[in-house]
Amino acid sequence: MEARARVVMRRQLAQPATTVPGQDGLPALLLLDQSAQIEQLKRCEPLSELQVKELCLKAREILIEEGNVQYVDSPVTICGDIHGQFFDLVELFKVGGWCPETNYLFMGDFVDRGFYSIETFLLLLAFKVRYPDRITLIRGNHESRQITQVYGFYDECQRKYGSANVWRYCCEVFDYLALAAIVDGRVFCVHGGLSPNVHAIDQIRAIDRKQEVPHDGPMCDLLWSDPDDIQGWGLSPRGAGFLFGGDVVKGFNHANDIDLIARAHQLAMEGFKLMFDQMIVTVWSAPNYCYRCGNVASILELDENLRQEYKVFNAAQQDARSIPVKRPPPEYFL
Amino acid sequence: MATTSQIPPHTVNGSPGDPTTSIEIQGWVITSTSLPISNAPEIDEMQEMLHGLPIPEMPFGNNSIALKHDASGWEYSFNALGALSEVKLGKLGDGDGGVKVGYAKEWMQSRLEPNSDTPMPETSPTKEYDWTYTTTYPGRETKSSSPHLKWTPADPENPSHCIPLAQLSKRDPILYYAEIMLYEDELHDNGSSRLVIRLRVMPTCLFILSRLTVRVDGVVFRTFDTRIYHSFQPDPHSTSGTLHVVKECSGWEAPYDVVKRVSELAYFLWRTDSRGHTLFQHLPNPNDLTPLTDANFIAQVLTQLPKSVSQNPRAKSGTGWRGLGTRVEVCHLNPKPVVDGPQVAVDGA
Repeated sequence: MEARARVVMRRQLAQPATTVPGQDGLPALLLLDQSAQIEQLKRCEPLSELQVKELCLKAREILIEEGNVQYVDSPVTICGDIHGQFFDLVELFKVGGWCPETNYLFMGDFVDRGFYSIETFLLLLAFKVRYPDRITLIRGNHESRQITQVYGFYDECQRKYGSANVWRYCCEVFDYLALAAIVDGRVFCVHGGLSPNVHAIDQIRAIDRKQEVPHDGPMCDLLWSDPDDIQGWGLSPRGAGFLFGGDVVKGFNHANDIDLIARAHQLAMEGFKLMFDQMIVTVWSAPNYCYRCGNVASILELDENLRQEYKVFNAAQQDARSIPVKRPPPEYFL
Repeated sequence: MATTSQIPPHTVNGSPGDPTTSIEIQGWVITSTSLPISNAPEIDEMQEMLHGLPIPEMPFGNNSIALKHDASGWEYSFNALGALSEVKLGKLGDGDGGVKVGYAKEWMQSRLEPNSDTPMPETSPTKEYDWTYTTTYPGRETKSSSPHLKWTPADPENPSHCIPLAQLSKRDPILYYAEIMLYEDELHDNGSSRLVIRLRVMPTCLFILSRLTVRVDGVVFRTFDTRIYHSFQPDPHSTSGTLHVVKECSGWEAPYDVVKRVSELAYFLWRTDSRGHTLFQHLPNPNDLTPLTDANFIAQVLTQLPKSVSQNPRAKSGTGWRGLGTRVEVCHLNPKPVVDGPQVAVDGA
């Protein structure tokens, strides 16, 4: 009880520092600069290559101090995959409130597939650098060199900057992102799911996370695995990766004294999907995924009592200006 | 006989952006529906109807293209349920073309090594199915289609028993166009599987291309095309003057690295071509592999490969998939048979 009260106090003390430049020990000029960058990114205006380099460097300095499992206090708003859908991310902030007024936890997959992976990731990163205690970013399986070379982020950096430098700076940041988070010790957040080699949340701390996402082992499982209607653990029919059943979730939650696992990684038409007696939820935050699925998205708001509220939202109207039209134009295909 | 400049009377119903639109032309009604992906209850229902097949991440269960020919009673449609019902469920065997992800071997080895830090846990069996969602579904007759109409192998000597690509290359006005997705799955970020149907109605004909594209990163590329062509004019080589539909189904595949290397190489071939003509489909920039995610690019590369590579079920590097090769069939749209007495009267008329 005492510990909890202290945490609340800390947050109240921290808040003024996040809005009044200069009070948290950083030079006022630097904070002004960071705020200006945030405003620029909010308008979906890209930063210069040099600015990106500096932002990524600062982000790394902050992220390196974070543990593999970040401890987060409620209230917090939990978000799933964004996938470069910048204008939908703006919509998300309109629905959930902007950072730093709202405390955020993003569960990875910021980049790839959408048209604005750079702006999306840099805006989140700029918030992280400016308000490190008000936003938590954890790693998704797309925050990887190999995956981004196939699914669009690499290509977007090449196209917008004429070189792969920006991609390289961002990939270096990816390696420092936390692997999981835990809210008030009760809600475990991870991009993919559980690993058969992780029984206790503390075991995640033993992982050396500062590397490219490996193809196997617990780090890979946390970012890739999926819940499924099976008993125990199952092998994916694809020949690599795990599926886990309701009994695994129940055992994990009991052993670690948690109420809920929040994860992302899988598209849900309704924006979220609760499974296994509400012990695990998939949160999906990319509306009209890939600009053609027509799905809604959601964010999960946890209040100070960890009461769950799912806020569902639609794709932004603004994005219509730069996404392919719903009906493709007639084409003389053969 | 209608020339290309003569546009037959037709009615287009619905405006662009409507979920359902249709065209009525030359005794045909062609309807297309394009809606968002199926919701959770619809996905559950679909899974039940498909005997438990795990449904692709993006199933467009409410989309369809349907053709109806009044005089013959021929009805044909393309939908996701039909396409997925032809995806292998159960243990994959010879001819199914089953594959594993590129790093499957290493992944398994890391778990099975005697001193592994991450030993394999006890696992329970999971559902076996073709997770690449490969289907050779060419569309199907609907239940209400006239049962007397049958597909027969095309006559290779008959020039009207093929898809007339030259005719289709003409820039005649497109009176009606539809493009619908039936399903898409990103194979858990190991590639992609997509089934897209396109249709165009021209003054003289209708033409459909159903294209399945499968890419498994580091492993294989696969395309299965179904082309359906119908000329509104009777076959000039036929004495009966009946109309017909041509259906051409073709499957190709090649190892991932072959497609990648060929399209890299073609880039250099293209560079040395003095006339500046594109001889082969190629990567515009050998360092940028994004074109390898484009269905049309993949199809062009696969079709320019020798058939002994891309359409040979016994190719050493292949998966033995039975969908390889090309088959052409025709369906004569004979008028509906009239039952009972009037049959004689028709014959005598």
